Amino acid sequence: MCLDDQILNTYLDGELAEPWKTQVEEHLSYCPACKARYEQLKKLHEVIAGAVLTDEEIAPHQAKVLSFIEHNYLNKKRKISFFHRKLRVGIPTIITAAAAFVVVFIGAFVLFGTSGDQTAEIIPGMSMNVDSANIMQVRASDNIAASRTLDSYSLEEILKYLDGKGYDVDVRLKGITPLDPTSAVGQPQSEPVSDEPVL
Amino acid sequence: MEIKSSDEQMFRQVYEDVFPVVMKVAYHVTYNIDVAEDICQEAFIRFYDKDMEFASEDDAKYWLIRVTKNLAINHVKRKMREQGMIDKIKKMPAPGSYKDGGDELVLKETQALVREAVEKLPEKFRSVIVLKEYADMDYKQIGKVLQISESNVKVRVHRARKMMESMLDREEVNVP
Ligand SMILES: [Zn+2]
Repeated sequence: MCLDDQILNTYLDGELAEPWKTQVEEHLSYCPACKARYEQLKKLHEVIAGAVLTDEEIAPHQAKVLSFIEHNYLNKKRKISFFHRKLRVGIPTIITAAAAFVVVFIGAFVLFGTSGDQTAEIIPGMSMNVDSANIMQVRASDNIAASRTLDSYSLEEILKYLDGKGYDVDVRLKGITPLDPTSAVGQPQSEPVSDEPVL
Repeated sequence: MEIKSSDEQMFRQVYEDVFPVVMKVAYHVTYNIDVAEDICQEAFIRFYDKDMEFASEDDAKYWLIRVTKNLAINHVKRKMREQGMIDKIKKMPAPGSYKDGGDELVLKETQALVREAVEKLPEKFRSVIVLKEYADMDYKQIGKVLQISESNVKVRVHRARKMMESMLDREEVNVP
């Protein structure tokens, strides 16, 4: 009985176990039809594999991503960033506070101010009232990271992502008293209660 | 060697060794080099950030490949939803004969046709063919990454090649 493509492909990939492997080899040694088909499948595999992204195509991207990670992660880790320290203190409190509303307030220069004037007013680190113009819904389509829906990210992941992108992120709790002042060192512009509508 | 993902030196080591294969996976699933780069960046950031431990560098590699493949597939699915299948069908490659074989141009064209054919494979076949042909993994490793059985991998590799063969035959790519 002749060999089918499935067997030949498995053999080709070096995945065929004994005793079948030996049987296939024997058959190929005397059956020109199967031998020819095997060569065809082998060629197909080579043609497909030959279309692989080359090292030259990869190299610039490898360097670029590494420098991004170095700049935003590896080098940052050495100084304990204010941001991360604050985050570690803050998040468990948020999680346990059942009724907490969380407003992610993004103040950065890159932003979504529609006019130049408006953007100029949004200076990182400056205290501002939260209003709908500065609250931005972070949409899933904005980045690859959000191929999961935004819902599947923890708040911490979202904040880290934004931080990584250079946004100045301030987390506020609505209807909650401020964090313990001794642990929230230098918590900026703490305005625990905002009457503004929340996302 | 045990790998701790947030250890800078180990991170650099894994990055150096694994980035190319991860980039291949991201690229051959999305066929968009910039998107592929973003996906790899995201995968390595998660890797670093999650502070994980792996028994070996291979385990770290499979983790990265799995995350990358998932991000890439999700990207493709989202894009398909956004643009619909119509453009996809319109984008059939121009017919041409590549039977003369041999020179650089032909090679490039064959490469382009193969890439387009892979892009047309349904997701579950695309994943296995990418991991098999471009990440150079065996059935067992592919099964682990895709969380399907080894025999399932075997069948999918076979079916995917069959689809590839018929698509490439139509394009008269020289597969003698
Ligand atoms: Zn035969």
